Amino acid sequence: MIKRYLFIFFAFCALSAFAQSEADSLYNDFHIQEVEVTARALTKDVIVPQTLKGEELQRLNALSVADALRYFSGVQLKDYGGVGGIKTINVRSMGSQHTAVYYNGIQLGNAQNGQVDLGRFSLDNMEEIQLFNGQKSDIFQSAREFGAAGNVYLTTRKPYFHPNEKVHVHAQMRAGSFALANPNVGVDIKLTDALSLTLDAEYVYSDGKYPFRYRRVLPTGEVAYDTTAIRQNGDVNAVRAEIGLHHYYRTTGFWRVHAYNYYSERGVPGAIVNNVWKNGERLWDRNTFVQAQWQDEWFNRWSTRLLLKYANDYTHYQNYDIKLLPSNNEYLQQEAYLSFANKVQLFNWWDLSVAYDYQYNTLKRDEWVSGVTDERFDRHSHWLSAATAFNVKEYLRLQASALMTQITNHKSQITNPKITPGIFASFRPYPKIDLSLNAFYKQSYRYPTFNDLYYTDLGNANLRPELARQHSIELAYRKATKAYDLAFSASYYYNRVTDKIIAYPKGQQFRWTMLNLGTVKINGVDAKADMSFYLPLRFVLRSRLGYTYQKAIDVTNPNDTYYGHQIPYIPWHSGSVVAELDWTSKRGDHYGFSYSFIYVGERYSQQENTIYNYVQPWYTHDLSIYGEWNVQPCRLKANIEINNLLGQDYEVIQNYPMPKQNVRCTVALKY
Amino acid sequence: MHSSSQILKFQISNFKFQIVLCFCIMLLSCRTDEVIYPTIPTNVTDEVQEGGLYVLCEGNMGSNKARLDYMNLETGTYYSNWYGAQNPKQVKELGDVGNDIAVYGNKLYAVINCSHKVEIMDLQAHRIGQVDIPNCRYLAFHGDKAYVSAYVGSLADPDLLGSVFEIDTASLQITREVKVGHQPDELCVVDDKLYVVNSGGYLTNRYDSTVSVIDLNSFTEIQKIPVGLNPTRIRKDEQGHLWVCCQGNYDEVKPQVVVHDLNNVIKRIQTSCANISIYDNTAYILDNTNKKLLGISTIDYRQSTINLPLSTFENPYGLLATKDALYVTDAKNYVSSGVLHCYSYDGQERWQALTGDIPGHLCRVGEAMQTDTTDTVISYSAYISHVYEYLPAIGQFVNELPKYEEGDDAESMCRKCEAAIANNAGGMVTLGGWGGYITFGFDHPVKNEEGRDIQILGNAFYMTGSTEYGSSEPGIVLVSKDANNNGLPDDTWYELKGSLYDDPTTEHAFSRTYTRDGDTIRNPFHKQPYYPQWLTADGYTLFGAKLAPQTEKISGQNVQHILDYGYVDNKPNTDIEGTSFDISWAVDANGNAVQLESIDFIRVYNAADEILTQTGELSTEITGAIDLHINN
Repeated sequence: MIKRYLFIFFAFCALSAFAQSEADSLYNDFHIQEVEVTARALTKDVIVPQTLKGEELQRLNALSVADALRYFSGVQLKDYGGVGGIKTINVRSMGSQHTAVYYNGIQLGNAQNGQVDLGRFSLDNMEEIQLFNGQKSDIFQSAREFGAAGNVYLTTRKPYFHPNEKVHVHAQMRAGSFALANPNVGVDIKLTDALSLTLDAEYVYSDGKYPFRYRRVLPTGEVAYDTTAIRQNGDVNAVRAEIGLHHYYRTTGFWRVHAYNYYSERGVPGAIVNNVWKNGERLWDRNTFVQAQWQDEWFNRWSTRLLLKYANDYTHYQNYDIKLLPSNNEYLQQEAYLSFANKVQLFNWWDLSVAYDYQYNTLKRDEWVSGVTDERFDRHSHWLSAATAFNVKEYLRLQASALMTQITNHKSQITNPKITPGIFASFRPYPKIDLSLNAFYKQSYRYPTFNDLYYTDLGNANLRPELARQHSIELAYRKATKAYDLAFSASYYYNRVTDKIIAYPKGQQFRWTMLNLGTVKINGVDAKADMSFYLPLRFVLRSRLGYTYQKAIDVTNPNDTYYGHQIPYIPWHSGSVVAELDWTSKRGDHYGFSYSFIYVGERYSQQENTIYNYVQPWYTHDLSIYGEWNVQPCRLKANIEINNLLGQDYEVIQNYPMPKQNVRCTVALKY
Repeated sequence: MHSSSQILKFQISNFKFQIVLCFCIMLLSCRTDEVIYPTIPTNVTDEVQEGGLYVLCEGNMGSNKARLDYMNLETGTYYSNWYGAQNPKQVKELGDVGNDIAVYGNKLYAVINCSHKVEIMDLQAHRIGQVDIPNCRYLAFHGDKAYVSAYVGSLADPDLLGSVFEIDTASLQITREVKVGHQPDELCVVDDKLYVVNSGGYLTNRYDSTVSVIDLNSFTEIQKIPVGLNPTRIRKDEQGHLWVCCQGNYDEVKPQVVVHDLNNVIKRIQTSCANISIYDNTAYILDNTNKKLLGISTIDYRQSTINLPLSTFENPYGLLATKDALYVTDAKNYVSSGVLHCYSYDGQERWQALTGDIPGHLCRVGEAMQTDTTDTVISYSAYISHVYEYLPAIGQFVNELPKYEEGDDAESMCRKCEAAIANNAGGMVTLGGWGGYITFGFDHPVKNEEGRDIQILGNAFYMTGSTEYGSSEPGIVLVSKDANNNGLPDDTWYELKGSLYDDPTTEHAFSRTYTRDGDTIRNPFHKQPYYPQWLTADGYTLFGAKLAPQTEKISGQNVQHILDYGYVDNKPNTDIEGTSFDISWAVDANGNAVQLESIDFIRVYNAADEILTQTGELSTEITGAIDLHINN
């Protein structure tokens, strides 16, 4: 334990030393440095996103988008363990359904339960992941994008061709613990100078068998029990295939079409409880969507964007475990979406935008055991947004938006349209220093899902949407020289979630229903630092630190035993450290070493903060080494990752044990 | 170069900033050993009632938070997580979703629904064992049998019928199973018939509405009585009538309570019924829709409302009517602590206690147990606490030490052995002839530490003036670790290698079969049968090593050569080293040394095979055992 502790300690000390010298240079050497600073445009974001992209993203010890998001501040990942386990994120404790996830600019939907399993999105063809608290900085966006409290944008690889190139090929094989086999092939083809095609396909297999251990001691320190077992029924078999067509015309216009298909079969390993070490549930998923985007600009002032999407998602859940509620359920969800957005630049300091979105969702449900067949639900959603952005000199940028939402659910009355405002401001006192004070206030609704409304015996068709109000203030600073590139920011936020949709016992025995019952008050601090140091001999040291403090308490009813208690699974403290040392040889080969540490502090598994619900902190140390070589005409990359280096036995969600030490190796060839 | 001067600067770091950061890290606590959940005693009343009350809290599905709490009514103290404290070694505690609890005979039974088991405990909630029954729901008893309803069905069976299992309360084995209707819940016995409600709870919109009648002799379903939609509870009143709570379809079919005289429905009472408890010719019905407690005479069905402040409850849930009090629980929102309320029949609240999640099931025990040792978890006894198995070979003291009585079985003989030799009782148990054995354990694992670990007491003594000869009836010691964590000695055994292990005269892997018919030799002092009378089988085979005869005649007396080390009942108890054993001596079946960190079970069998004319067979006797690492 001591050893482990020191390791963390040194990691922080080492990094903090760098942080300190930066502060020194800012205040003492500003004038000397100024000469050295290369001209750099001020970032125009009113909301500074957290970003992971390119090589940095590829080198993280991460398999899926969910793994990568753990490195962002203010984010809590719910992870049920293993390659196939469900992974969802919760931004600033408002609940995972307040976070919207966008795939190449269009939201991924799940009208059934409102959650997107981010463990299914591979990092292999991902170019960038961004998290915006509040909303995206740019007011030129679809109406629906103004609607969520937190936004994760996933952007896949775009083709880039040098003048003489016609084809890029990327082939990769990854293998590792739990019998992981994960080949990936991508091809980019330049059809004409303006038109290009990208293809990407991936297969993931894992048997999901990993050892886990439960060890308990008596208060005397003597072992009460210590047992190790193998996680069963956690296998996953998944295939993903994508195709994209991009066309750039004139200098302003652009259209692209993207088709995505994902198919998987997996076991649902379930909770490990007394006398149950194995479960038999199986899940099949197929997610298919086609989306198109067209965008152009006229008179240098007026921009138009049109988005279209059709999604078709099928889920089949089967339970062969005779000990449990036998199930054989099929769900088919379809979604059609259209968005039309326009932005006008009135003056070069004032923009206006208006957007209208429409979406149609259906769900068809067949639950053979309970006798529900061909039950259908649908929903029409309309969003209308208006937004404006204006700049006062160079000092102040302001944005305001208003979103009107009207959702009409099958079988329920048309609810009154809801209007939610958002106000964003960014103040930059010094034109030449990238220091900004950003603040926002935003309201957003989380609408009840089909499950909330109609789930057999549980749904409540009279639910109101859940309201989140966010107040956030942030200080951000960035400085880049030839020697380093540093970015720091700290934010304080206060969120209040009211009318929270929760399951509550009905007035009859054994029954639950969904109710708008619950108020949560969240006070939080996020602090982060991104640092790159360009050292002599072509060494580069990059590091990333994040820390989050959150006090998210239930303030529903002072008579509840849990009034004022921290809500489930939100740690008070959490943080991460990533440090990477990269060396480039004279011929352009790369070698590097990366270390990452993730810490999630103590928390409780249920509303009441009692010893019976206490969950210990967990922290993992991950290491990776990589190399990249020019092997004409290709570029060869290899990477070995060791995750959970010290083999900590931990659970993110109680009774769902996480893997101990595990290894992944990746070899990639790029042409 | 500017960049290198920057680097220099990085190295000359200002410590203040570092200190601040390090301080931040101090706030982040480290992971420590996971300590088992303790029991927390809370004094809730000064009032004295008789006995105790067990409260089984369900806990939410998948949370593994079924919790058995105990209220000592004599001291007014409520103990949370009582089971956990009594059985700290139980892997993953009591389990997932507690669904029913009952006392029958001298045992406590708890149905743990999603752990698919019936947990069987003594009245202090010390675990005795478990019976695995998939998706088990409720309990009933009759004679020496327990009956458990279970939702178990299969996908292949389109009807998803449930079952009732019969458990033998002595052997804790499933003896019979009968298919009943859909998702059977509560059950009760009237005369020789078992009545079980078929809820059909899995079949939304197609609930069942019958009670299956099972003949207990043939264990077959003889009839299905229609009662009302979705029956979940069934209780018997003093008139022998059945009270069935039907939940309806949670929509237009309203809930009702149906009274049935085994032939016909004789009364229908329109009320919701979360729970029912019948005491002294009154059926108490928890109407959770209106948050009221109804009292209905089981004789003339006159109805009265018991004046309890249930309107202040969030979710009235559990109910138990007893001679001196009414206990009602509030399950709150199902995911936080509930409350147990105790009322007098005049509606006065006498006390309340905070329980675990979903306090659903209550049962009284007659006598309060000893709960004054609040640190039951911490203090271990140095003496053995439990005898798991006792199977002597035919011998002159068998059925005498301990005494067999009509009706005894293997289980009760173990308890008698316990009474004789556990907890430093100082009595004696015989192992009979060659191969007879006993298996016992402590209330904790015995650690393998430096030197000898366990002393096992017998009745050996030295011949006057000698330490070479005396009365030695050597027994071999086997040890085992509870590798599968089921609390039962069904794991691999290792022999503790004694001084004669490698001696060529020792016959390893010997076996002998004893039969009831072979029990013919009697000596004049012991005329009782020598064959273990509690065995139902007519023969049994014992296995082990056999030592060569050690008896010599010295001065006209039969004495044995005292063995060097490693045998029970070989040296006098006063010779602590001579009667003690080191777990490091353990060898496997092939004689290879095995390193065990600790052991849970100890077996001793008689390795001597000599029958002497005057004193009968050499038979290892055991009078106790001590963990040498515990001082008390």
